Amino acid sequence: MNYEMIDCIDAGTPYCPCHLAETNECILCSQLQGKEFCDCKNWKGTCIYQELIWNNKESKAERETYKGVIVQKREIEKGLVEFVIQTNHELCKELCSPGSYAFLRTPETTEYFDVPISIVESDIENNRLLMIIDIEGIKTKKIYEKEEGDTLLVKGPFWNGVLGLKNVGACKNKNVLLVARGIGLAPMIPVLKKLYRQNNNISLIIDKGKYEDVFIKDFLHKYPCNVLEIETLYKGNVTQGFAEKLEAFIENNKIGHIHISGPDILILQILKNINGRTKTSCCNNAKMCCGQGVCGACTTRFEGHVVKRLCKLQTDPEYIFEGRRNI
Amino acid sequence: MKVVIIGGGWSGLAAAITAKKAGADVEIYEKTDLVLGLGNIGGIMRNNGRYTAAEELIALGAGDLISMTDKATRHKNIDFPGHEHAWLYDVNSIEPMVKEYVENMGIKIFLKTRVIDVKKEEDNIVGIVLYDGSFVSGDVFIETTGSTGPMGNCLRYGNGCSMCILRCPAFGPRVSISSRAGVPDLQGEREEDIYGAFSGSCKLGKETLSPEIIKQLEKTGVVVLKVPPEDVNMDKLNQKVCQQYALKEFAENVVLLDTGHAKLMTSYYPLEKLRKIKGLEKAQYMDPYAGGKGNSIRYLSVAPRENNMKVAGLNNLFCAGEKSGLFVGHTEAICTGSLAGHNAVRWYLGMPLLILPRSIAIGDLLAYESEMTSTVEGKRKRYTFAGAGYFNRMKKLGLYSIEREEISSRVKKANLENIFAQRLI
Repeated sequence: MNYEMIDCIDAGTPYCPCHLAETNECILCSQLQGKEFCDCKNWKGTCIYQELIWNNKESKAERETYKGVIVQKREIEKGLVEFVIQTNHELCKELCSPGSYAFLRTPETTEYFDVPISIVESDIENNRLLMIIDIEGIKTKKIYEKEEGDTLLVKGPFWNGVLGLKNVGACKNKNVLLVARGIGLAPMIPVLKKLYRQNNNISLIIDKGKYEDVFIKDFLHKYPCNVLEIETLYKGNVTQGFAEKLEAFIENNKIGHIHISGPDILILQILKNINGRTKTSCCNNAKMCCGQGVCGACTTRFEGHVVKRLCKLQTDPEYIFEGRRNI
Repeated sequence: MKVVIIGGGWSGLAAAITAKKAGADVEIYEKTDLVLGLGNIGGIMRNNGRYTAAEELIALGAGDLISMTDKATRHKNIDFPGHEHAWLYDVNSIEPMVKEYVENMGIKIFLKTRVIDVKKEEDNIVGIVLYDGSFVSGDVFIETTGSTGPMGNCLRYGNGCSMCILRCPAFGPRVSISSRAGVPDLQGEREEDIYGAFSGSCKLGKETLSPEIIKQLEKTGVVVLKVPPEDVNMDKLNQKVCQQYALKEFAENVVLLDTGHAKLMTSYYPLEKLRKIKGLEKAQYMDPYAGGKGNSIRYLSVAPRENNMKVAGLNNLFCAGEKSGLFVGHTEAICTGSLAGHNAVRWYLGMPLLILPRSIAIGDLLAYESEMTSTVEGKRKRYTFAGAGYFNRMKKLGLYSIEREEISSRVKKANLENIFAQRLI
């Protein structure tokens, strides 16, 4: 049976209740959606209504912006740069889980230049964040101008970079398959790490996409898994070779979980092929601008006038595509 | 044929027992790790008209739970202000006893299994959705989720979560199943346009009271202590669920009953004021833990029902307990539950549903509550055999009796002897 279990990534954290709760737009709480009574089907373990009342009916503080210093800048290949940024200890501690990301910008720019970047690795011993950035547009080009020793502004923590997190958390002692393409390899690393630590037998299909080489090789030594390099997409469709491999994995290897880290076009087609046979998770490709439910950049529309704010909403990957409307 | 019961309190268990006796496979889904729900802090049976109802249940063939509470009784036939011949069961021993009894009947109880939604096909419920998204199908459903809490409601309509036995923060909030199925809930009011009412009693740790009070409680079952004149609060009586205990005597006095713990017959009472009373200088609350601040809020989700306990507007959802009306008490929960469980099986078999006649107290209470709650004033009243207006009605109509023979002969006369013990399948 299909039943969408939703969650809010920020519920029960120091950032809850947020501006959404304050304005009767809370993702989880019926009382904070303007209704008169509790209808708490998506309980997360905390009463958001109570938290808001106890906080004088105001939202909790927004994410802070911290100073970060570039301690390492390495151009992996043209247009692909690895940054190691030294920053606040508390922030680093909060950026360890899969799906973690932070907004980066240069001190000279305004908040419009905030660009969401996935955390590949958070080193809490040395308070360093490792990020791999595809230099593509206005925001990333500004960051690219900076060199070792320069300062960047880091706003965080944010956590909703992966959808289906509860499936990742529950996946233990299983055969799992990870599929990652292009820059999707970067946010896949914390997922790989977690699944590895949860004693799973991991197979990893890598499609390097537009890049010349697989840029995460170091991590593959850290978290050994069965790696297969293959082209997954050709002209917007999954390649036959990949589709066959995927089917073989599902049918022969008793795969218990599949994580997909790539463009939506790839996620959607893989989900169709999986057709509910395994639990899934995927990277969250929504456009993140404020990351806190306010700006509306991440909202997607679904049938029945349903709006999902993907910066906050946790759901299983299939519900990101099912009944989606383009308006 | 499977009957699925949502909520493992007194009414859910009563429904399970009669449905099982009628021949159904029965599953109970309960969100906490205990059955009995608020029954774990109950204790008062057979006071005033409840005596009649308890004996009617026995005559109807649904006396199982009454015999359990009788067995766990610490004090028989005690009187306290406004109440006669009350029996007090031991709240500390009743739960495991009842659970074992119900399980031995072959009824499956799923604890820590919160139900969050239903799946419907037209006006039939086909199954329930559990907290983890999994699905359970069934033929007939009985909702006994009560009307208390959850914490957002207790905050909005009361003084906030007072940490009662339902433990919403730990086990998750109650979800109204009938409302999820598209039937809007009704609400009780305590004053004009003020929804809900406070639960009417607390539990104090008996060992925290003075040796004299403990001694008297254990000997007589009841202790009445004067409230200092400056602390008498008459307004508080309006807020209570239990209008049968909303008497002047309960504002001027602190009434303690021995239910294993010391049952304090007031919604809540600031601890510092309570401790001003001689013998209560070291008193501590056992339920709700924050009984000094507030109590749980009830009657916020009552399903519209027919007198056969079927939820109006749906084919195969029945209800009982507080979910089924502005009832107070465990006896009332067991009465409504027993009828709901029995009728659930009748519905499945296509038999006419049983409506209890007004010649017995249970039938009259059910019909009277339905009539009254359709009126504005009626929504501010509570319905219990133990008082709050209905007990007077019982006496006036000659329904009140404490004679077993007389009560069972009324049931016989209505041709209902042992009807709930009948196997239908």
